[in-house]
Amino acid sequence: MFTIRKRSLILLTAAILFISSSLLCLSVLAKRPDNVSILMAAPFADSTSELVKIFNQKNRGRIHLEVIKGPLETEAISDLAISSLLLGNTPFDGLLMDVTWVPKYAKAGWLESLDNYFNEDDLNALAEGADEGNHYQGSLLRWPLNADIGLLYWRTDLMDEPPRTPQELESISQKLQNGGRIPYGYVWQGKQYEGLSCVFLEIIDGFGGEWFSPDSGRIGLDEPPGLDASEWLNHLIQTGVSPRAVTNFAESEALQSFKSGQAAFMRNWPYAWAELQKNDSQVRNKVGITTMVAEKGHQPAATLGSWGLSLLKGSAHPESTVEAFKFLTSEESQRYLYTKYGNTPTKAEIFNDQKLLENYPSLQSIGEALAYARSRPETPLYAQISVVLQRKLSSSLTGMTTPVEAMQQAERSTAQVLEAAGESP
Amino acid sequence: MPLLILLIPSLLFLVAVFALPLFRYTWLSFHADSVMTGLVAIPNQGANWQRFIHDTRYLQDLFQTLRFSVVSVTAEIVLGLVIALILHQPMRKRALIRSSALIPWALPTTVMALGWRWIFNTPYGPIDRLTQSWLGQSLNALGEPSIAWITTVYADIWKTTPFVALILLAGLQTIPSDLYEAAKLEGAGSWICLRRITIPLLLPYLGLALMFRLAQAFGVFDLVQVMTGGGPASSTESIALYAYWNALRFLDFGYSATIMIGSFVILSSLILITWLVVTTARNRSQQSLAR
Repeated sequence: MFTIRKRSLILLTAAILFISSSLLCLSVLAKRPDNVSILMAAPFADSTSELVKIFNQKNRGRIHLEVIKGPLETEAISDLAISSLLLGNTPFDGLLMDVTWVPKYAKAGWLESLDNYFNEDDLNALAEGADEGNHYQGSLLRWPLNADIGLLYWRTDLMDEPPRTPQELESISQKLQNGGRIPYGYVWQGKQYEGLSCVFLEIIDGFGGEWFSPDSGRIGLDEPPGLDASEWLNHLIQTGVSPRAVTNFAESEALQSFKSGQAAFMRNWPYAWAELQKNDSQVRNKVGITTMVAEKGHQPAATLGSWGLSLLKGSAHPESTVEAFKFLTSEESQRYLYTKYGNTPTKAEIFNDQKLLENYPSLQSIGEALAYARSRPETPLYAQISVVLQRKLSSSLTGMTTPVEAMQQAERSTAQVLEAAGESP
Repeated sequence: MPLLILLIPSLLFLVAVFALPLFRYTWLSFHADSVMTGLVAIPNQGANWQRFIHDTRYLQDLFQTLRFSVVSVTAEIVLGLVIALILHQPMRKRALIRSSALIPWALPTTVMALGWRWIFNTPYGPIDRLTQSWLGQSLNALGEPSIAWITTVYADIWKTTPFVALILLAGLQTIPSDLYEAAKLEGAGSWICLRRITIPLLLPYLGLALMFRLAQAFGVFDLVQVMTGGGPASSTESIALYAYWNALRFLDFGYSATIMIGSFVILSSLILITWLVVTTARNRSQQSLAR
């Protein structure tokens, strides 16, 4: 009798303990903050780490933001994101996207529209140029974190004014080279990779052409501006204005060469500015920035290379994710990211901030160049047509084909790519 | 019969690992499945194969991949044999020397490819510095299409020769030493011993190394991806890189599957031919040995 009672007592206590503890667990679960994760390329994960801490402190118990640090290279990040998206349920709520991915990801159905989260005023607050490349087929799919554009860096100690046309750039370079003042004129990105497409876009636009127009389906490579652009790049190498090694230069190689005082001009992104002002730079305080050269009568072009935040379909906490986006792209955050890491801001107001401009004079030139920002062709097939162009340009720059043949072949292959995908050119 | 039942689990495993993906890719190669179709497979009546047959880029990649495979594997077999013969000799600290010869093989490909990329870098890499000071001219190894592919071959030889040497060394140890003693008594020199004893008895191992390496070299991906990214002018692009780009960069899975199946057929026939050549050579040498 006694033993039975004792046993039932034990059972009862155990049951009470179990029920109360599970209730406790449930209540804790109910109060658990929304976990939001964003995948970013390594440099951005590093530069935003302080901001993430502040955000999490502000929203303690409500939202917990985690930034997942991806690889360094743009393409490696894309490969990583795509391989997880292909497997179905997204492991991330947000993705920091390169401007060229937007149409492809949108067409694949991986992005959630941001139209309900950002209004007209938000869009109007963006600087001219920073508003490009965020929409696809009329809906907002990406909110810009920074505004990257291609710039022409020039040496203020070697000339009074930067060149404005391709001919000027060449003649100034040759004069300096012949006078023995500098080994090379102009360094840029001539390696077979995305950077080469960015370089080319600026030149073909500067000659008054267009690489590819997704709306009209027109390809402009085998047309006078395209051929001129291709010939000019080739000419730079042939005349020795650019070193032969540019055919294997990416951003870092060009920067290395310009930083050590080997060249009079360099094409690079805004991040290079901070690098050139460091103590180990041979050209510290001797550098100016401007837009890329353009033929007389045509506007210069600056390839837009911005990064922005996109909401992935299937995210469990879309509202909280967008809240994190808004915090990371707020004016305050942008100011911090610019002054600390040189990330170009996207809000127009920051470019007009007199106090900031006094301390960071380069911001003005960047803001001016931003107005000339040009997106690369906005099509889901962008990666294909860009690879076609890179490949053909690279063969012309390395002397495997003539610049004219290269453009003719590139035009034909681009048409084939579009045709194979069911997009009649 | 009971034996067959015991084989079922491993057969199932093989089906899951080899047959299913092959069937799936073959099926996919007859469908349009890309970003343009919203990643949904739609039958397209062999349009992928039509494109495959006329794809000059694939043809160029096939040539480049074969060039890479044949040159690097040949060099690796020859060098591997030499190294195996050296490591087979009795010497002091042999175990230490043998294991240190394996270091390149133990390094991850991406790591060593990154290393070679910097060694061949223009104008800051040591190789370029050497040619600049000796020849007064930059080699531009990774920027020159006629040279760039050789650098990838070079890096591959550096990495995988130890693997070939290891297989051949294992083979050398199976050859009974009394054969050599007998031959020496008959007055045979080392050259005759190598030609009449070592090589014929090593043939199965040579064949094994050849097939392993050929299959691996034909699918070369990470080395090229890291060292050159396929450039310059696509002169180092391999088939695997092209298929990968079609799938992950272009999101064109139908065509990517077509490239893989097409390459699979080509590779299998290549391996079959190699195997036939090796077995007939072995049979012939065994006959001549018997005589």
